[in-house]
Amino acid sequence: MLKMTHLSKVYRTEVVETYALRDFNINVNEGEFVAVTGPSGSGKTTFLTIAGLLETFTGGQYHLDGVEVSNLNDNERSRIRNEKIGFIFQAFNLIPDLNVFDNVEVPLRYRGMKAAERKERIMDALERVGLASRAKHYPAELSGGQQQRVAIARALAGSPRLLLADEPTGNLDTQMARGVMELLEEIHREGATIVMVTHDPELAARAQRNVHIIDGQVVDLAEDPRFHHAVHAARNNAPA
Amino acid sequence: MQIKPILSALRRHKAGTFLIAAQIALTLAIVCNALFIIQQRVAHLSEPSGIDEANIFVIKSEWVGAPAPDQADAQMREDLQVLRQLPGVQNVTPSNSYPLRGDGWDDAIRLKPDQVQDSSGATIYFADENFLDTLDLKLIAGRNFRAEEIGHMDLRYKLAPPVVIITKALAEKLFPGETAVGKTIYLIGGPATVIGEVELLQAQSVEHWASEFAYRSVIIPERLNVSLGAFYIVRARPGQLETAMPAAVKALFAHNPRRVINEDDGVLSFSDVRSRAYESDRGMAILMGVICAVLLAVTAAGIVGLTSFWVGQRRKQIGVRRALGATRRDILNYFMTENLLISVGGVLFGAVLAIAINLWMVTRFEMHHLSMVYLMAGVAMLLLLGQGAVLAPALRASRVPPVEATRSV
Repeated sequence: MLKMTHLSKVYRTEVVETYALRDFNINVNEGEFVAVTGPSGSGKTTFLTIAGLLETFTGGQYHLDGVEVSNLNDNERSRIRNEKIGFIFQAFNLIPDLNVFDNVEVPLRYRGMKAAERKERIMDALERVGLASRAKHYPAELSGGQQQRVAIARALAGSPRLLLADEPTGNLDTQMARGVMELLEEIHREGATIVMVTHDPELAARAQRNVHIIDGQVVDLAEDPRFHHAVHAARNNAPA
Repeated sequence: MQIKPILSALRRHKAGTFLIAAQIALTLAIVCNALFIIQQRVAHLSEPSGIDEANIFVIKSEWVGAPAPDQADAQMREDLQVLRQLPGVQNVTPSNSYPLRGDGWDDAIRLKPDQVQDSSGATIYFADENFLDTLDLKLIAGRNFRAEEIGHMDLRYKLAPPVVIITKALAEKLFPGETAVGKTIYLIGGPATVIGEVELLQAQSVEHWASEFAYRSVIIPERLNVSLGAFYIVRARPGQLETAMPAAVKALFAHNPRRVINEDDGVLSFSDVRSRAYESDRGMAILMGVICAVLLAVTAAGIVGLTSFWVGQRRKQIGVRRALGATRRDILNYFMTENLLISVGGVLFGAVLAIAINLWMVTRFEMHHLSMVYLMAGVAMLLLLGQGAVLAPALRASRVPPVEATRSV
């Protein structure tokens, strides 16, 4: 589903080159739930933005759903983002001027979908996250957890092949975070491919597989003993 | 189309939306009416005088001292003779005034001696038998004055010529559907028989008060002798106006130096006369044009300013839209459509306001009713202005990268 080979991302200024990703390799299979972990500044978010075609990379190869994306133009990248990728952001990124229904509708409009089909998909997605009754509410009228659920509904409404989540519980309290995480797990059980960036070992432990990044490269989890132990501990404490 | 969500978003930004819509409405209302006034002024500027403007110039010769009427008449006839002999002069006639002069003799015309209400107002032109040829007026009925019919008078006498020539416009007003030739009209001093009709001769005044009788003129066969001086209307031979003007002045001074011909306005070509007559109209048209330009510029600046502010404010939101699949064109269309919706609201309100302002001016200043063509043109202009003004900030918005969605504010 997602395959990056020897990928690099360099930020250049007049005086310095900074490698955000260097010789980066990752392979995510269809239906997997992968947690991407690592300390702050390790390159997790850069990986996610490149994976989501939000920005370009400097070198290497990236195949998404079998398509090499480096030669795609801006419109083609937009179309792939719209049709194949669902985003869940840490800050929810709902549009404050639009109500819940209209927020979920945004990507479907860009796909040129007919109104009747849009409505059906929106209501299905909202029911799935338990917020169908809040369709006319504005984001400011919802709790953080509810807003993130709306963001998940927005990501799901377009039936994406890949769900990318950037610290999806980072702005939520424990109880709300648990609810969102359970929702992601449920979505995964239904067959979705999920790549979740997190620095929380407890959340990482709930994914099928962990990919650990340090200094822009994928490393063995054992190279970060504290995080490694935290993940193990979380797995051992998880309910059966 | 994204009209519903855009309207929904605009409802959350009522103040900015209302301000721009109100500015567009006000601009439309003022610009439509101003352009309409400009058009009317420009049309006024190009009203025909009916005379051979390209070859005519006017001399205002003031006597030194205060000659008696008979002496003044004798000097006038000598001057006419001098001018007529110049090689560049085709003809010359004396008069008390001429079209567009802005000063002269206007009088009431009646059809019966005891009539209380005037039949019409008219400009009175004193003339001799050369008046029609000098001004190149087209005689459409009757005949010209004969030399023996020309008298001379001064202001001690009442205006009572035995015969007159009138313009077609006056004839149609006084005798609709009939010829005026042979009919009697009453001037302030008594009856006069109409012996001829000329096609067109504009009044001496182009002011609003004289607009009702702008082309109603009466030509009477008298030389007006006043102690101040005389007007000589001179028709130069084709192509010789520039040389004939100084030659005429030189010849007059050579014949009789006891006169004053003012350097500023003593000798005027008819293009100068026209330019002076419509100075205020032209000034008003320019002023209105400047006001329109300033208003349009302020409105465009307002749209650019507000849209730029909104683009800056919604940078993250634009990034989110791009992340969710919006192309650059989608973002461009979003802002263009948003502006179009605000502008449509503004022009609808503005159209009503424009008509209301016009109706007020119709009742207050006797203006004409605003032409719908101007309203439609104004609406189209404001919509285009809005789209033009929003283009730069909208293009800037379309260049916001999708990765903006992941950046914290």
